[in-house]
Amino acid sequence: MLDKLRQEFLENTTQILILDSTNRVLETDNSLFYIKKDSDITDFHPFFHVISSLFDDDRKEQKFYCVQMEVKGKTCFYDIRTVVHFEKKQVVLFVEDLTDHYKTVHQIKQVRNESIINFNITQELNHELNVQRGFKNKFLANVSHEIRTPLNSILGFLSVLENTNLDREQLDLIGIIKDSSKNLVSIVDDLLDISKIEAGRLEIKNKRFNFRRFTESLIKTYELQAEEKRLKFVSDIGTNLPRFLIGDQLRLNQILINLLENALKFTHQGTVTLRVSTNSRNMRRIPVTFEIIDTGIGIPKEHLTTIFESFTQLEKRGLFGGSGLGLSIVKQLTQLMESDLEVQSMEGEGSTFKFTIFMGVSHDQKEEKEISRIKKSEKRIGGSKKRKYRILLGEDIEVNQLLMMRLFADEGSYSLDIAKNGEQVVLFLEKYQYDLVLMDLSMPIMDGYDAAMRIRNHSDKKIKKIPIIALTARTTEEERDAAKESGMNAYLTKPINAEILFKTIDRLLHRYKNKKKEEVKE
Amino acid sequence: MSVSKKVVLLGHFGVGKSSLLRRFVENTFSESYTVTIGVHIMKKEVHLEKESVTLVIWDVEGTDDFTKYRPSYLMGASSFIYVFDASRPVTYSDIKYNLEHLKEKYPHISVHIIGNKVDLVDPEVILNELKAQDIQHSYLSSAKTGENVELLFENVAAQLLENA
Repeated sequence: MLDKLRQEFLENTTQILILDSTNRVLETDNSLFYIKKDSDITDFHPFFHVISSLFDDDRKEQKFYCVQMEVKGKTCFYDIRTVVHFEKKQVVLFVEDLTDHYKTVHQIKQVRNESIINFNITQELNHELNVQRGFKNKFLANVSHEIRTPLNSILGFLSVLENTNLDREQLDLIGIIKDSSKNLVSIVDDLLDISKIEAGRLEIKNKRFNFRRFTESLIKTYELQAEEKRLKFVSDIGTNLPRFLIGDQLRLNQILINLLENALKFTHQGTVTLRVSTNSRNMRRIPVTFEIIDTGIGIPKEHLTTIFESFTQLEKRGLFGGSGLGLSIVKQLTQLMESDLEVQSMEGEGSTFKFTIFMGVSHDQKEEKEISRIKKSEKRIGGSKKRKYRILLGEDIEVNQLLMMRLFADEGSYSLDIAKNGEQVVLFLEKYQYDLVLMDLSMPIMDGYDAAMRIRNHSDKKIKKIPIIALTARTTEEERDAAKESGMNAYLTKPINAEILFKTIDRLLHRYKNKKKEEVKE
Repeated sequence: MSVSKKVVLLGHFGVGKSSLLRRFVENTFSESYTVTIGVHIMKKEVHLEKESVTLVIWDVEGTDDFTKYRPSYLMGASSFIYVFDASRPVTYSDIKYNLEHLKEKYPHISVHIIGNKVDLVDPEVILNELKAQDIQHSYLSSAKTGENVELLFENVAAQLLENA
């Protein structure tokens, strides 16, 4: 009865075959596929070539899972169990049809494998991109260094030349060379910033700063520039904005300068407006909205999406100069500040660039007394004629030595000695008494980093504690960190700005002097 | 009548083992990737100068861990063809480890190492990469263009006859 029911209602999914060792079919029930008795089974499917090797193996039973075969035009998947009767030289095959099960497995594995392969390919592409990016960043850092070094001399000597007896025409010409050189410096800076942002090495450093003074200074600068172009500069700074805010002043300045310069560059009549506002009275963190509005030439609609790409310049004729990196940097900097730069523009009518960043509100809204105290003492140090401070410069390039000599010649408060390499710097410090060291980082025999480390590990306490300022054309964060690690107190990049140089010297001398006083008291 | 020899294609999934087989047996190629599960077997007679040999080629489901291969799939094999994807380093970074396993379990079976999908890479770059990793490959092939496919299987067949 049960056999009858089985025959009637259940499909037979297993075929049994008996073969001899020469692959000849002795018996078959042909449940799954038809094979003639006495035929060579390898003619049916190449899988069955395996039969002969079964007799070379010690094992009586074997199982072959998921063997794929084309049967009656359909792809089937079989599990095949073989049982060898060595004495009879026969093998029994149990072929089980598991097509439905394996088709489901196939679908799952198809999806899984495809996603793993795609992941591998993406990883590989990322790796390649990172290698290329690394090469580009290294290249940019090197090019920047090579350009900065001669620019340092050009700008430095132009300042010196400016203070000699020149007529108005000559001064005008110097002004043009100076502007072009400064332009070149800003292009190099832009290139470096782009590479830093792409490498994820540019960090937003939030600090407390005088926001009101910051906007006032911007307004002053651009009012003058607008006036030169006979444009009207309008400033609208919200009166409810706190005096002191917490944010990245340096990068915010960079964003606003880029946008304001662009607005002035592309506006030939009308106004340029800087609007800063907040709608929040929160005491901890407020959204500050910056808008730069101009009545300039505007941007064609089709270019509104591409203006933020690197090296995009709508003015292809090159009338306005620049590297085409400014807006790309601004866009990426605002993104780093968790904001987004929006632009609205109408060709021939003007443009509005707008972004909102969240800034912390400083608890202390009073002017720091410390700052004014430092300023007073700076004046004291710089203006003092009683004692000359002895500065030692470590610098191997002759033209840079000459420039520094010229800059120091105009300053009565200091005397300058020059050492040609790091080893000489240490030797001079041991032989003579100095108040501060200016150290180039790339020098032959012993570089600036090694010399600084030698100084910081010196047995003489006085030498050990002398302030050191790094002077270099290298501007990467890594180099800045390495200089700090080697014990240098400040880091100035070439081209050297004389005002910043002497301010830094005064600041460090003041700090050094105070420390010495405290040590004497103790 | 020619002698039959079992050859097994091994390697990670997606390296083009099935494509190599189809190019060799049917002279066809498809850009779309279809996973092989279990084993798919095809055969082709290779005519050499004096003799012929029928290669019964087992295209086994790909895996990165050769210790997971079912022994029944590899049983009775005369030769292994180890295929990797020249455009995906992950498919050849573990070659030495997998070869060691094969050498230990199947010491008498020859292994041919094939870098497939060479049409996707700069051959000079991949050759330098293989040299740096000390991988002694037999051929760089492309199932897509057919480059070195026939030559590879002919070479396998010739070696099998030589060792017979």
